[in-house]
Amino acid sequence: MIPADAVISSRPGRLASWLAAVTLAVAMFAFGVGIYNAAGFLKAGKSHVVRPNQVRAPSVPGTLYVAQAGAIYRSRNGTFAQITTESGWTQPAVSPDGSELAVVRRYENWSDLYLMTPSGHLTALLTHDHSPQMESNHWVFYPRFSPDGRTLFYDFDPKDPFNSYRVDLAIFASPSDPSSHESVQWTNPNYYTGGDVYPSPLAGGGLIYTKYSIDDQSQVHSQVWLQSRPGSTGVALTDPALDCGQAALSSDQKLVAMVCTKGQTQSTELNVAAFDPTTLTLSTPSTLVTGELVASPVFSPDGKSIAYLAPATPGGMFQLWTVQATGTPAPRELTSLLGLDSTSPPVWTAG
Amino acid sequence: MEISPVYMPRASIIAAGFVLAGLVGLGAYFFPLFRTAASATPSSGTVAGAVSDTISNLNPIDVAPSQPFTVLLLGSDDDSKFPADRLNTQSMILLRVDPGSKQATMLSIPRDLWVPIPNQGMGKISTAYQLGGPQGAIAAVESNFKVHIDDYVWIGLNGLVKFIDHLGGVDVVVTNPVMDDFYPSDLSSTGNPYDYYRVAVLPGATHLDGVHALQYVRSRHGDLRSDFARSERQQQILLAIKAQATHLNVADLPTLAAAFNGEVKTSISLDRLRQLFSIAGSFGGSNIHRVVLLAPYTSEGSAAGQDVVLPDWSAILPLVHQTFS
Repeated sequence: MIPADAVISSRPGRLASWLAAVTLAVAMFAFGVGIYNAAGFLKAGKSHVVRPNQVRAPSVPGTLYVAQAGAIYRSRNGTFAQITTESGWTQPAVSPDGSELAVVRRYENWSDLYLMTPSGHLTALLTHDHSPQMESNHWVFYPRFSPDGRTLFYDFDPKDPFNSYRVDLAIFASPSDPSSHESVQWTNPNYYTGGDVYPSPLAGGGLIYTKYSIDDQSQVHSQVWLQSRPGSTGVALTDPALDCGQAALSSDQKLVAMVCTKGQTQSTELNVAAFDPTTLTLSTPSTLVTGELVASPVFSPDGKSIAYLAPATPGGMFQLWTVQATGTPAPRELTSLLGLDSTSPPVWTAG
Repeated sequence: MEISPVYMPRASIIAAGFVLAGLVGLGAYFFPLFRTAASATPSSGTVAGAVSDTISNLNPIDVAPSQPFTVLLLGSDDDSKFPADRLNTQSMILLRVDPGSKQATMLSIPRDLWVPIPNQGMGKISTAYQLGGPQGAIAAVESNFKVHIDDYVWIGLNGLVKFIDHLGGVDVVVTNPVMDDFYPSDLSSTGNPYDYYRVAVLPGATHLDGVHALQYVRSRHGDLRSDFARSERQQQILLAIKAQATHLNVADLPTLAAAFNGEVKTSISLDRLRQLFSIAGSFGGSNIHRVVLLAPYTSEGSAAGQDVVLPDWSAILPLVHQTFS
């Protein structure tokens, strides 16, 4: 027979043992679940995407702005700072003096253009593209300041009163002064091509952009196009067979970087050509990058380097790269874990 | 002599417990794969769990990966606008793969192609699936295009979205802005399937998740080439999927099977699927030929009070014979 006091004295120890056993069992269960999830993650082979402000990148001179997951990030000395919330922000453009950004905020059925400071403080809403009636909403994309900073070019979808199915983007221009409500339609897109996109204003008052066409064989072509004034016919700077677009000008406007596909739909080339504004011609382009999915090139402030977006691995998310405008040395991958918005060209300023 | 019991040190017991828990976790993940592999036979015509409705393997002979084969790829709007057993095929792509020569051809069949449908009379080829299921669609294509089809794959809207999301998205070059003010808002099972919203897929190289990839292949209102344009985009997304799918292996099947939940149907056996996986990486972009039956192969017209696409068989059949025979 066990004495009563012995039973009483063993109860706390037994309770502690049970608690320890239960805790260990829970920990083992959690470990098993973790192993299950780890197996799934490793087997899927998916890359882990992080926010730019969670990584450091090799330092490049000046300031870079990029977009990811609806937020704008500013990079200085290899450190990214998030300047907006993740709420549809994309396609920043910087004024020539660097004092303000024009940025697109995209919603499900429309987008608007805002002005903000380089640190992300909103200063003006420039467009009012929302409508309660679905098809009366508008898109605005690709803002660009003119070299003198007084005009803002952008893409807008004017409505076709005779056919509601037709939605072709056209390039418009408005004074960058938010109190102004003037706008001028610069380009007349080819019908049912999706329209004209990607304006790059010239110092002399003209405009370079990407124009789409559909040929007699029903093939889509993109060309770098030049117009000297609003509504003019303009001239093609590239051959339709090259399928070039996303043209970016160097700050001295003597070089054009552009993405050409030559009819391919799974690979692109980054090409650079000299631009002669007097003859309105491009030289024969030289290819800097080939066999990759290059998007949205932009020149460095000194015109010696080009930043662009491309995945590091086939099927991967888009990362930030740089390459010398001469093509050598080889392109340098600045980031590896990001998921940058490839339809939002980086902005590279000297400040 | 007294034998004292041997006690395992407490630390060893705990360590063994964690090892056992880890093994159970691994087993729980991989067991569906082993079960899938064990239950599949070359003639079963199913990928267990990934298929909710199958027909028997159309080609019961276990085709070696060196022999050419033809697969009919079918895509349907399977939202609540349509009864589950009365779906049209918005997309029909005939895929010929020749592992020996490392050549493949994708031929998109216009959904409005006006053809005789076996046992049903004249109609748009997209209705063959509605009236006869996969076998009806296969019979319509085989009888009109004079080809033998070895297998089929059918996928619904959410199936494509889930599949692409499972792959982690796809990289494509969007050839031109895809703008659509009347894109159907029908992915969710709740809400009005006749609602619509606005789509703007911007041009250039980009990474698309499942929903945006579906917008890219499905939108047609804002393009001069309408259905033909999206046929080209569908082929483009298929190439992008192929590029991404080379990262997959059969161990991914349990996850895929769970994700599809009836949104994919196929006659392809697991063994055949393994063969396809094994050879997919050896096909480069330049060896995959893409055909869309534009003019002069087809012309726009009307029949039975409908806008239809009229075939010129004297032009189509030599093309098909050259590639698919």
